[in-house]
Amino acid sequence: MKFKSIFIIVVFVPFFCLSQQQVEKSNDTIITQYLNEVVVTATQTIRQLSSLPLPVQIIAKKELKETGSTRLDAILNEQTGLITVSEFVGGEGIQMQGLDSQYSLILIDGVPLIGRSAGTLDVSRVSVGNIKQIEVVKGASSSLYGSKALAGVINIITDTPKNGFNGDLSYRYGTFNTHDTNITLGYRKEKFAIQSFINRNSSDGYQFLNAADLNTVDPYSSYTFNSKLSYKLNENTKITASGRYYIQDQIYAPTLDEKGEINSNEWNTHLKANHKSGEKWNSYFEFYASRYKAEEYLNSVADNSLFSESDYNELLIRPEIRTTYKSNEKHSFTSGFGLNHETLDRTDFTTTPEFNSPFVYFQYDGNPNKKLNVILGARFDSHNEYKSQFSPKGALRFELNDKISFKGSVGYGFKAPDFRQLYFDFSNGFVGYTILGYNTVTTRIPELENEGQITNVVVPISEFEGQLLAENSVAYNFGVNYNPISTLNLEINLFRNDIKDLIDTRLIANKTNGQGVFSYYNVNNVHTQGLEFNTTWKPNNSLKISGGYQLLYAKDKKAKDAFKDGEVFARKSSNSPAFQLNEDDYFGLYNRSRHMANLKVFYTFKKWDLNTNIRGKYRSKYGLFDTNSNNYLDAYDGFVNAYTLWDWAINKTFSNNYEIGLGVDNIFNFTDAPESVNDALFIGNIPGRMLYTKLNIQF
Amino acid sequence: MKTVKLFTLLTLFIVTSSCSNDNDDEIFLQIETNSVMNLHAPQTGGMDQMGNPVPISGEFTKFDFSTGTTTTSDTEWDIAFRGTSIIINGGVSSGSTDEPERTGNAAAYMATGTIASVKAVNTSLLEQDSVNGYVLSNWYTYAGPPTHLITPTAGKIIVVRTQDGKYAKIELLSYYKDAPENPDAYTDEERYFTFNYVYQPNEGELTFE
Repeated sequence: MKFKSIFIIVVFVPFFCLSQQQVEKSNDTIITQYLNEVVVTATQTIRQLSSLPLPVQIIAKKELKETGSTRLDAILNEQTGLITVSEFVGGEGIQMQGLDSQYSLILIDGVPLIGRSAGTLDVSRVSVGNIKQIEVVKGASSSLYGSKALAGVINIITDTPKNGFNGDLSYRYGTFNTHDTNITLGYRKEKFAIQSFINRNSSDGYQFLNAADLNTVDPYSSYTFNSKLSYKLNENTKITASGRYYIQDQIYAPTLDEKGEINSNEWNTHLKANHKSGEKWNSYFEFYASRYKAEEYLNSVADNSLFSESDYNELLIRPEIRTTYKSNEKHSFTSGFGLNHETLDRTDFTTTPEFNSPFVYFQYDGNPNKKLNVILGARFDSHNEYKSQFSPKGALRFELNDKISFKGSVGYGFKAPDFRQLYFDFSNGFVGYTILGYNTVTTRIPELENEGQITNVVVPISEFEGQLLAENSVAYNFGVNYNPISTLNLEINLFRNDIKDLIDTRLIANKTNGQGVFSYYNVNNVHTQGLEFNTTWKPNNSLKISGGYQLLYAKDKKAKDAFKDGEVFARKSSNSPAFQLNEDDYFGLYNRSRHMANLKVFYTFKKWDLNTNIRGKYRSKYGLFDTNSNNYLDAYDGFVNAYTLWDWAINKTFSNNYEIGLGVDNIFNFTDAPESVNDALFIGNIPGRMLYTKLNIQF
Repeated sequence: MKTVKLFTLLTLFIVTSSCSNDNDDEIFLQIETNSVMNLHAPQTGGMDQMGNPVPISGEFTKFDFSTGTTTTSDTEWDIAFRGTSIIINGGVSSGSTDEPERTGNAAAYMATGTIASVKAVNTSLLEQDSVNGYVLSNWYTYAGPPTHLITPTAGKIIVVRTQDGKYAKIELLSYYKDAPENPDAYTDEERYFTFNYVYQPNEGELTFE
């Protein structure tokens, strides 16, 4: 029992540390910062992290700086239960509580990033150079955030300038000719504050040997521009305007015969007015607009003729008004309403669809007594293309005493069908199959039939006259927080997500060319469940040790039943007779590891203005696809082996404003490269040891 | 124990032949458990070098359960192979080029199980080839890029009524020459069928035991 031993290490080692600590007696003068951290994402109001009834993690700027992170994916990968996985062509998406990246929302200052061409939001798009903190709320949060907040929400809070004129320049150079440059300029005087941020990030990419002579990651370069301006009209009214522009160019060479480029850009603008009337009322008026564009082309290498091109152009506009009324210290009420307006213009779409979805939400946050905190909330999303959604949530925190508290929450989450699932009309030029969005089936199938392209219809068109349902889930979280002494924090959270109506593709007709026509439908019921454990120990101001562990079971109900009913078979080798599998042989969903763990040690030598840290992360084996042709991931499939990565960084500050840093990511040079051209069980996003050096100047 | 015995027989590749030349009408013929290796089922067409579909043609390789061998007979065949296409000598053609005329009354279905667990024929499931396609079109799983392997789907057992009204069950094992343990679609020659089968030579007898 591998799991058992890991559990013992993660759960009991901290207790061992604790007993030592008690002997030494805790130092009263130590400031335990983590008790004072505040979060806005969980309730849309400023709340103390430790008082929340929900599972929330914070990644502070200090950690971002000390670990030398440049992009969001790297730092999220170091957090318990979070991992980025490569999905389709969409880049690095975040997996949370065992759910794919299309089920979590990525926000910057409370408003969502868009641009998920295949459902995945590539988190490496986000530079962490101007981030104050990252807030991660786990568990369905549709009661506040609507669609996609099914697994949880990651909110990136950008920095605000200090008084006077100040700036920050930093440059990092690393393996694969990776450059990352940040310039931040800020100014604040009395009522006025402005901050501008520029980031350039580029890399030559890398190539695994044996990988068909193609780059595993193609060269790219990107720029991020971000400006934020705020002005206090008076004591009670503040206006903030921010704009962000991101542009990336990447070489696109999927085979040796074609070469092209992918150019993407994204802008967003966010206007916010905040007005307080007295102590009780606090209102926000927000206007947010964002556009994401991606264009790609492929030319034939032989004669430079155009092989294929496609474009993607998505727009989101969202006005929102939100008010919080605090009747007294015990009760506060938040309510808001707004509208999501979305359009998408894309190659392989029959129309330029438009989504309009007005929403309204309400939240009660109360402390009936000193020991109890209650949050009750609900949101209603109306929609022109799918069934309206009502998303309630309830959460409770009970403080038994100074050391132990319990928290629990139940919430509804949903993800609306996306444009692709409704309006896709794509035929693969190579192979000849066709994928149709749910809403295009009733018109396109008769057209294809008239053109003589259809042999037979497998699923009658009448099944597509209704509406595709939103994927939805009920999330349960239950946690215990234990602070035996002020320097040690232990936290455990049990979670379960019951997801229904997951959208999958199925064959709906056969084509005369021998290929299929596929479309989307609601079919799968999936659950993910497990536990998360986190601990932080800060015995003094120099040392901080933290560890985390996630246990995960992610299973499809139909698959489970198929194993139970003895309908699944496997072979020992691909030429031997098949045998029947049983329920225990079902491993679960693809790309999920049963165990993930991390350990981080941060140490500061105050005397020398030096800090150093070492961080390890572990991921147990996982399956990428069915290798033994029974359509399920079972114990007899090929797996990607478990691995551990260790990173190390050291930073030294000179005369307060200058800092140089050195670091090694993946110290032991771990890679799992493909063994041959047709080896698909490899890890594409771990290229081996990477060294870097960085320089930072503040003024 | 039955299974173990069966597999022992299979691994030894014992090719038994029936002893039907006896005069006694009452004699019950012994069930035959056999393996066929490298049944070559070539085709022309499919895809050209640019990956564009080209009409498939070429003779099917026909197999006769009563002799346990391939045959060129126009009538005495039960099942025939060409590339990934498997047809039976019963029903009507779907119209593809070079399909042999179906002269018999063969029928088939795809059962779920191991070859040992399919103990009897469920005649209500039997179907014949039709204009809508072949009964046995669903026998393999295509892995897609990058391996592009074609593997007989585990747990699929073909149950056949032969052209002359007898029954057989087949487990396909490999689509590649010499049935390698770890086939490579790039280097191993494809369109070579290896399979185990059990043939019930007694007419009308629905069990395989």
